[in-house]
Amino acid sequence: MPKKLLQGNEAIAQAAEAAGLQFFAGYPITPASEIIHEMVNKKHIKTMQMEDEIASINAVIGASLAGLKAMTATSGPGFSLMQESIGLAHMMEVPLVIVNVQRVGPSTGMPTLPAQGDVIQCIHGSHGDYFPIVFYPNSVFELFRYTIAAFNAAEESMSPVILLSDGYISHLYETIVPHYDCTITPRSRPALGMGNRHFTGLSHKGSVLKTSDVNNYRQLIASFREKQQMTAHRHNYFEYLECSRETDTLLISYGALSRAAYYFKNDFALYRPIRMFPAVEEIRKIAPRYKRIRMMEMNTGQYVYEIERMLHREVEFIPILGGRIDPKEIKQTLYEQ
Amino acid sequence: MSNDTRFKRYLKLDLLPTPWCPGCGNGIALKTICQAFGELELPKQGTVVVSGIGCSGRSAGFFDLDSVHTAHGRAIPVAEGIKYANDTLNVVVVSGDGDLLGIGGNHLLHAIRRNTNITVICYANETYGMTGGQVSPITPHNTKTLTTPHGNPDYPADVQSLFKHHNCFYARTTAYHLSHMKKCFLEALKFKGFSFVEARTMCIVNYGRRLGYKNSNEMLLHYKEFYRINDYAEELAQDEIGILKTTTVS
Ligand SMILES: Cc1ncc(C[n+]2csc(CCOP(=O)(O)OP(=O)(O)O)c2C)c(N)n1
Repeated sequence: MPKKLLQGNEAIAQAAEAAGLQFFAGYPITPASEIIHEMVNKKHIKTMQMEDEIASINAVIGASLAGLKAMTATSGPGFSLMQESIGLAHMMEVPLVIVNVQRVGPSTGMPTLPAQGDVIQCIHGSHGDYFPIVFYPNSVFELFRYTIAAFNAAEESMSPVILLSDGYISHLYETIVPHYDCTITPRSRPALGMGNRHFTGLSHKGSVLKTSDVNNYRQLIASFREKQQMTAHRHNYFEYLECSRETDTLLISYGALSRAAYYFKNDFALYRPIRMFPAVEEIRKIAPRYKRIRMMEMNTGQYVYEIERMLHREVEFIPILGGRIDPKEIKQTLYEQ
Repeated sequence: MSNDTRFKRYLKLDLLPTPWCPGCGNGIALKTICQAFGELELPKQGTVVVSGIGCSGRSAGFFDLDSVHTAHGRAIPVAEGIKYANDTLNVVVVSGDGDLLGIGGNHLLHAIRRNTNITVICYANETYGMTGGQVSPITPHNTKTLTTPHGNPDYPADVQSLFKHHNCFYARTTAYHLSHMKKCFLEALKFKGFSFVEARTMCIVNYGRRLGYKNSNEMLLHYKEFYRINDYAEELAQDEIGILKTTTVS
C-alpha cells in the first residue's frame, strides 16, 4: 500500500469512505470543517450542509433509518446542540457516527486551540441514561483506523458511536499507510419503507408504545447497556507502555496530550485509553503495579473520575488548560510535584 | 359520505381510539390524510410518515406504515434525511404548529429553500395542546392562553409568506371543509417539491374552552362561518383558506 501524507480530518473522511459511508450531513465549524470539505468531493457520499447541527444529526438519523451508513462531524458548540437528538438515536437504536473535534470551551472559547473538555458530555450530555461507545485516537493513522472501528461498532451496537478528536491531531499532517485489518460490518437493519414499524423516542417495546410500563423501561435500558458491553468487547483498544527503568508511577493521558506523554516514557509507565467509554477493563490489572497514578487531561478533570471509579483509589490530577501542549511546561509540573 | 374504505389500509386500526381528547380535530385530519393516500393508492411499502412531538406528533404511530416519532421540532430534518437517502420513498411529515413553526421553524425555512420533495401536514390548532394550551406561533393577536393570560401581545406568523418566493406548495384548510382538506392533501402529495398544508384543527379542551366555545362543534362552525375558500389565489387573506397560486406553477 502506498504511503500518503494526510491531515487528521482527511484521514477521518477517507476512513469513513472505506467503511462504507453513504450519507454525511454537517455544519461548518473550526476545527472540524475539513471533514465536510472532503465529503463534498466524494462521489458515492451524499453530503448536505444543513442549517445547524441539530438539523445535521437529525438528517443523519433519517438517512440511517432509511438504510444508509451515515455520519456527522462537529466541534464542542455543535456537539452541545446535538445532544437531545443523540438521546433520540439511542432510544430508536440508530447506528451512526459522530465525530467531535474538540476545541477550547466553554462557549466559543478558543476555536483554533485543542482541548478535551467534551469527554463527559459524550456520556452524559443528553438527558436520561444511555450507553455510548466512544473512541479517542492520538495520531493520523489512528484516526483512520478508529473511524473504521467506529462505523463497525455503530452497526454492531445499533447505536450512535462517537469518535473524539481534537484540534491538534485533526490538523496534524502525518505520512501514513491507510490500511485496516478488520472486516467492514454491513448495514444490518432493514431500511425504512418495507413494513409498519414505529420508531420512537418514547419508551417502547418494538413498535409498541410503553409510556408508563416501569418494568419494560427497566428492561429497555438494560438491553441498551448489554448491547454496548457486547460490542465494546470486540473493540478493546488501549496502549500501555511499561517503563524501561524502575518506576512506581503510572501516567495516564489520551488524545493529543498523550503524544507529549511519550517524552516521559523513560521515567514513568504510560497508559492511554483509546476506547474511552465504556472504559477498558485492563486498567484494573495494570494499576495495582504502581504506587502512584497520575493523570493529565486538557480539562479541569473529567476522565480522572472514570479512572478513580474503575480503580477505587485516588488519582493525582494534572490539568493542562488553554490548548497549550508544551513538554517543557508539562515536565516542570510533573517533576516539581 | 363516501363508501370508499381504502383509507383503512393505512391505519393501525387495532390501536384506535387515538389518545386525543373528545372533540379534538386531529382525528378528522388523520382520516383525511389516509383518504388521500387511498385515492392516490400510495404503496404501503414505500411510504413513510414522520412526526415531531405534541398531540399531533402522536399521528405517526397510527399509520400502518414505517413511521418515525422524532424529537420536538425535528420531524422535517429527519424526513429530509430519509428522502435524501432514498428518493423513491413518499415521505410525509405530520405534526403540530408549535412543533413545525415554533421549535422547528428554522428547519421549515430551510426545507422550503432546499425545496426537498416531501409533504408536510401541520395540524394547526393555534396552541401547544399537549402541554396544556400555551400560546403558539399562530395564535391570533389578543387571544388568551395559559401563557398569555391578558391576551397574546404578538401577531401570528404569516406562514404563507415563507413560500411566496420559492417554488413550493402551500395550502391552508380546516377540519370543517372536509373535501377541501382532502383536495389540499391530494395536491400536496402529488406536488414535486416541498409541500406544506396548514390544516386548522380544533382543540376544545386546552384552547377553545378558554375562548368561550362551549364545545368543539362550535369551533367547527366558526371555521365554516369565518373562512371562505379562495383556491389558486396570489395571497390568502386572514379569513381565507385555499391553495396558493404562485407556488403551484412550475
Ligand atoms: C425540547 C422540548 N421542549 C419542550 C417539550 C414539551 N412539549 C411537548 S409537546 C409540546 C408542544 C406541542 O405543540 P404543538 O406542536 O402545537 O402540538 P399539539 O400538542 O398542539 O398538537 C411541548 C412544548 C418537549 N417535548 N421537548
